[in-house]
Amino acid sequence: MNEPKSHSVGKSAYAPAPGRRFEVGDRVRVKRRFPPGHRRTPTYIRGKVGEIERICGAFPNPEELAYGFDGEPKKVLYRVRFAQKEVWPRYTGPDRDLIEMEIYEHWLEPAMAGTSDEKK
Amino acid sequence: MTDTHAHKLPSDIGGNEAGPVDTIDHGMRFWERQANALRSTLTRKGFVKTDELRRAAEELGDRYSQLHYFEITTSALRAIMIEKGHMTEAELKAKMDDIRARFNVPDEMESPIKKGKAQST
Repeated sequence: MNEPKSHSVGKSAYAPAPGRRFEVGDRVRVKRRFPPGHRRTPTYIRGKVGEIERICGAFPNPEELAYGFDGEPKKVLYRVRFAQKEVWPRYTGPDRDLIEMEIYEHWLEPAMAGTSDEKK
Repeated sequence: MTDTHAHKLPSDIGGNEAGPVDTIDHGMRFWERQANALRSTLTRKGFVKTDELRRAAEELGDRYSQLHYFEITTSALRAIMIEKGHMTEAELKAKMDDIRARFNVPDEMESPIKKGKAQST
């Protein structure tokens, strides 16, 4: 997979994403919500805290496209980096292991540095 | 740690016990290639959207885990084409009856291409 050079300078965008809420390096928490319907955020990542790894761009909202709407307004998509140990409390691999996932802005909220959410 | 809630989709299996992983490449059967081409064409021409197909696949519910990949995608394609009014159940059934008769396939569980038989009749 080719990664754009701009990745390293922290402003990468595959597509324009004006008016976005987060920047590379921001700590974010995935909303812990369980609405019905086509949702693009897996259950296991909801409530977890990660860091914005890159800004992928703004795209038609797939959760609207799924029902025949036009997906407007577009939603900003981020790649978010999580520690595997944060995602899976019983993870037995090295601490440095990561999982990266692309998540739309409406699923994210700001998180304080170093916080995690293990509330059930 | 696995979440259980009312709206968990059948495709949302991250963290579930998966058992042994089948690493053999089974290739694609003839009908699977045909179905994939049809899905690709209908998507490209704007009749259906990938996101609609994913939603229809999720709406298969318990059937989702019982079907193979191309059965899931084809079931989803069928559902969305009917939902959007591009065809009706009756039209689809009539066409399938027509094709089944043409190829002399007595049972849809059998191969749809019975070359020798179709040519000799």
